[in-house]
Amino acid sequence: MAQTPVLQVNNLKTHFFTRSGVVKAVDGVDFTLNAGETLGIVGESGSGKSMTALSIMGLVPQPAGKIVEGEILFNGDDLVKKTQAELQQIRGRDICMILQDPMTSLNPVFSVGNQVIETVKQSLAQTGETLKERAIELLHKVKIAAPESRIENFPHQMSGGMRQRVVGAIAIAGSPQILIADEATTSLDATIQYQYLELLKELQRDTGMAIIFITHDMGVVAKMCDRVAVMYAGKVAEIADVRDIFNNPQHPYTEALMKSVPNVEEDVEMLYAIEGQPPALDNLPAGCTFAPRCQYAFDKCEVQFPDIVQIGDDSNRHTATCWKLSEN
Amino acid sequence: MAAVNTIIELEETQKYFPVTSGAILKKVTGQVKAVDGVSFKINEGETYSLVGESGCGKSTTAKMVLQVEKPTGGVIRFNGNDMNSFTREQRREYRASIQAVFQDPWSSLNPRMKVGNIIMEPLLANQEVPKGEIKERTEQLLRDVGLHSFQADYYPHEFSGGQRQRIAIARALSLQPKVIVLDEPVSALDVSIRAQIMNLLKQLQDQYGVSYLLIAHQLATVRYMSHHVGVMYLGKMVEEGLTKKVFDNPRHPYTRALIEASLPAHPDSQREGFMLEGEVPSPLNPPQGCSFHPRCPKPTKECAEGSMEMGLIEVEEGHRVDRCCVNCG
Repeated sequence: MAQTPVLQVNNLKTHFFTRSGVVKAVDGVDFTLNAGETLGIVGESGSGKSMTALSIMGLVPQPAGKIVEGEILFNGDDLVKKTQAELQQIRGRDICMILQDPMTSLNPVFSVGNQVIETVKQSLAQTGETLKERAIELLHKVKIAAPESRIENFPHQMSGGMRQRVVGAIAIAGSPQILIADEATTSLDATIQYQYLELLKELQRDTGMAIIFITHDMGVVAKMCDRVAVMYAGKVAEIADVRDIFNNPQHPYTEALMKSVPNVEEDVEMLYAIEGQPPALDNLPAGCTFAPRCQYAFDKCEVQFPDIVQIGDDSNRHTATCWKLSEN
Repeated sequence: MAAVNTIIELEETQKYFPVTSGAILKKVTGQVKAVDGVSFKINEGETYSLVGESGCGKSTTAKMVLQVEKPTGGVIRFNGNDMNSFTREQRREYRASIQAVFQDPWSSLNPRMKVGNIIMEPLLANQEVPKGEIKERTEQLLRDVGLHSFQADYYPHEFSGGQRQRIAIARALSLQPKVIVLDEPVSALDVSIRAQIMNLLKQLQDQYGVSYLLIAHQLATVRYMSHHVGVMYLGKMVEEGLTKKVFDNPRHPYTRALIEASLPAHPDSQREGFMLEGEVPSPLNPPQGCSFHPRCPKPTKECAEGSMEMGLIEVEEGHRVDRCCVNCG
């Protein structure tokens, strides 16, 4: 695997300025994404995982939201400094996104062919038949049966799994370098979800694109990802290779998360449950944001947010933010 | 194992919905067999889970148990009594002894009512409760589900998703029902909250001796929660039995595919993909013969022609599989 970062996010802060105060949705996120790599971003709702994705896409909701600090380097170019017009050239071509609900991400009054062709036009300066051929080829790539006739269908004539495949076809139309899948399979049935994940893996093998998987499902992470960033209250609690996260979790939140997921292959009498609720983002606790729910918390945790600690040597790129780790 | 009492029994229960066409003069042009001859038993103090993909009829089955839909055929028995021949009084009693908790705690609680009133409403509608006792029982229920008694005066918007689901559970428990239908009770909740709610449900089952009819699509949840499991496909039960037996030794190819398709718990435990091709056929136009044959890995000519005898047969004690597919998995 080539070790060149296509995307480097440094100290990204996306805040929302609301009447009731500043909501720190993303508050200092760092990660690197190499070409052909799959990064999983996991966390609960409100942990900032989707806002990180929208920040990369330059689609932070306006006017309340704003990237206040940090840089997003795409092949060395800082996306934060780019204008919307410049971002428009990158979005949909170099960086693409698949959203959770295919019924709302497709336009119900246009045929799917029309919508695929619309995207193809952006990257191909051709017309008519060639565009249609390319669209059929794309639908074929995402394994839609009989794409020649399916191209005339409207979204409502397709099942959820097929609609999500069409969204996938639109996403790969411009041969992107980065594909962001935001809970892309959450609304699909189990067997369909499995098919779709396999399809994404195959597309990645063919095109060499990097994928960012945003999910709350540890199963998706275990199946798909090379690296995992665990987010909690706008910050990355821990980032490491997927096996290190599963075998050797260092942050107490990651550790608890691993223990609280039931397993289809074994019987468990009682699951471990993390007590309490995630904090409100406009009223974060001082010190470590996880401290109120942490079983290891001591006095220092409630005063100051911990530094990033390197686990092991540099080469395995495993970091976590916890005082427990830097104290001993 | 000691003899356990069956609390609810479904026998060949059917629900067919008519398909009509025409705007004024409606003509019945067909029917959707949403549930087509389903039989199973829910035991006292135990959890029975129904699994399957969307459109397989699991929610319709639950609705019939809740008496929201009336079965078009077959029998549902409660404590041995046929529900079709219930008297007014028995029906009233039945409704009080069966409650439900739904998937989305944002839409299942009335935003204009205080939590205390939400919890007590079923009780006040069904029983004469002395005024002085109401407050005490509300507070007891709130404590049982892990909330504070003073929170009875709060409104639902003041709670997070997990806490709202606790309120919904307290409301379901207020009548001390025999059975609670849990329709995807944790799938709308955050990962770190799911384990809390699942543990709470298990603990309340021990405390109140209540039975659950659980509908879930996440197999890991089902394995953790239930004693028995039934796998449904296109309105029919295809495999059924003790959870451990079904999960450890799935015989039907669909059950196997569901288990294989459930995501791994560890990156090193990647399963060798036994992947089902295609999607669930439309229930409006189900395939001839065995309804699973278009997706079956080993379909025979008999399966497609429908000359095969259908129905469940016992493969071991407490484990029944569809006759046609018993050797296909």
